[in-house]
Amino acid sequence: MDSSSTPFTFLDHTADLGITVTGSDLRDLFERAAHSMMQIMIEERPAGKTSSLQLSVNGEDYADLMVRWLGEILYLFQGEGKVVTCTEISSITQSHINSTLQTVPFNPKQHEVLAEIKAVTYHRIEVVCENGRWKATIIFDL
Amino acid sequence: MKIKVEQLDDYRWLIPQTGAMRVPGLVFADSDLMKSIQDDQSLTQVANVATLPGIVGHSLAMPDIHWGYGFPIGGVAAFDLDKGIVSPGGVGYDINCGCRLITTVLRADEIRPLIKEMVSALFKNIPSGVGSTGTVHLSKSKETEVAVKGAAWAVKMGFGTAEDLERTEDRGAMEGADPSVLSERAIKRGQNQLGTLGSGNHFLEIQVVDQIYDKEKASHFNLFEGQVTIFIHSGSRGFGHQICDDFLKMMIKSDANGQKSFLLPDRQLACAPLQSDLARRYLAGMACAANYAWANRQILMHLTIETLLKTLSIRPEELGMKLLYDVCHNIAKKEQHLIDGEQVMLCVHRKGATRALPPGHALLPEVYRTVGQPVLIPGDMGTNSYILVGAEGAMEHSFGSCCHGAGRLLSRTKAVKKAKGRAIHRELEDKGIFVQSRGKRTLKEEMPEAYKDVSQVVDVVHGAGLARKVARLRPLGVIKG
Repeated sequence: MDSSSTPFTFLDHTADLGITVTGSDLRDLFERAAHSMMQIMIEERPAGKTSSLQLSVNGEDYADLMVRWLGEILYLFQGEGKVVTCTEISSITQSHINSTLQTVPFNPKQHEVLAEIKAVTYHRIEVVCENGRWKATIIFDL
Repeated sequence: MKIKVEQLDDYRWLIPQTGAMRVPGLVFADSDLMKSIQDDQSLTQVANVATLPGIVGHSLAMPDIHWGYGFPIGGVAAFDLDKGIVSPGGVGYDINCGCRLITTVLRADEIRPLIKEMVSALFKNIPSGVGSTGTVHLSKSKETEVAVKGAAWAVKMGFGTAEDLERTEDRGAMEGADPSVLSERAIKRGQNQLGTLGSGNHFLEIQVVDQIYDKEKASHFNLFEGQVTIFIHSGSRGFGHQICDDFLKMMIKSDANGQKSFLLPDRQLACAPLQSDLARRYLAGMACAANYAWANRQILMHLTIETLLKTLSIRPEELGMKLLYDVCHNIAKKEQHLIDGEQVMLCVHRKGATRALPPGHALLPEVYRTVGQPVLIPGDMGTNSYILVGAEGAMEHSFGSCCHGAGRLLSRTKAVKKAKGRAIHRELEDKGIFVQSRGKRTLKEEMPEAYKDVSQVVDVVHGAGLARKVARLRPLGVIKG
């Protein structure tokens, strides 16, 4: 994931928060989507001891895979207190992702939380390839 | 997609049945509110809900309707138990998000100089914000007990009295809760969040009763002008979010496996036939989350009482805190309703909508049997909240339901943009409202202009006969996550 820039644009959604993310290929798209979600939740790259973990996700199609992929990363934060700082997808198909994640422990004193994302929703979820570039539309429940 | 609406009267708009819709839509709004409603996708969502199997009557929208995910927020839909479905998206992630209003015997003029101190003490003692943890840590067996017994568990542990249960919807415990259907993740997330407020639009507010509309009902609710009240808005925290997420994914998978015979207009509307085992398990899990939320708000009330007694250095009888009522506004419930002259059991989804039972309804507790159910409508942190009472029109037109709040008008990004360069907490202080919040952007996202005018919303449900105005509450101090 490239952390130097904002990899997404906001969609205007009255109650919740929507984004569009683009990527040069599927791997890039899914990594950027993960980075975008973390950037929406936490302001700065948190400090702390980095750990590495393997994450595999299955889905019914690209859109379902995106919701489940982001949902797993969100759960790591909400349920395990782990802030994902880097994702490396080693393989991706329409129904499966294999990846290695770098995480640091969440520390409320160090990490500025910007928004509580309750869930990654299926509402208007879309993963498409347009003119050779991959694009995802994702709406989060806040 | 532009949705066609036909005005039926001053407060009701019909969305004619077209395409895959199985019933028409019906929106409660005045002409002015309808203009803002048509600005977003919420009417499309009303039409989408109308396509779900077994829907009865109309796909309904309350005047605080706004664009949600799947169901609109402010949506109500009832389904036949044999042919219908249950949809986790029709309840929402924050299962049993709801409100609790507590009256005191204090007068606002007695405590006005102490408001800042009270807000600071509440902010310190009541855990709020993202990832906050409570003082109650639950072992797995205790969490199971909370999930089944709800508010009664909290009362048993000393967080309140039996009288509080009498004044809580469903006595603070929904039947049918079965913790065996819960995932390890849900159990884990519920272990340390009991007694926490949360973030976003959740809040705890110190208010004053500044106008009484119905003296007789107000007297029955022990309300008087100048009285201090406390309003709590919170839900089932990460426990409920996880339960919704788990079952939604199971239903998406079940759809993908060809177990669905109709086309979903939005995947977030994924659902299961009410007669299926998956639906039974979802409703059992949803009830666990509902009960957790009631226990949560019961503990939040207890923490508030403890804090105020200490801060004001007074005895419990001098504070006189008493629960008026606790209502949920994100839920699916099996209830009896009159359809074509016959009492029929239906599964009513309320996604951002409050139950509003009229006087004499069998489900009302004895204390409110003759007067009707207190309906609690929070405003936003800068505007008024309302207490209404359920009316007969709710049973005739909206499956015993009414609005749940002001309803958002601006997206969070638009609100933050509009608040740029402004000190929202100062603006509120100038209006006599002292606010403390945990989240960096919360005050901007939740600023008053981000919401519809709650008075207008309440006037619609009053005018349409769904509920009647009893009293108006003005904020004095607010804590937010």
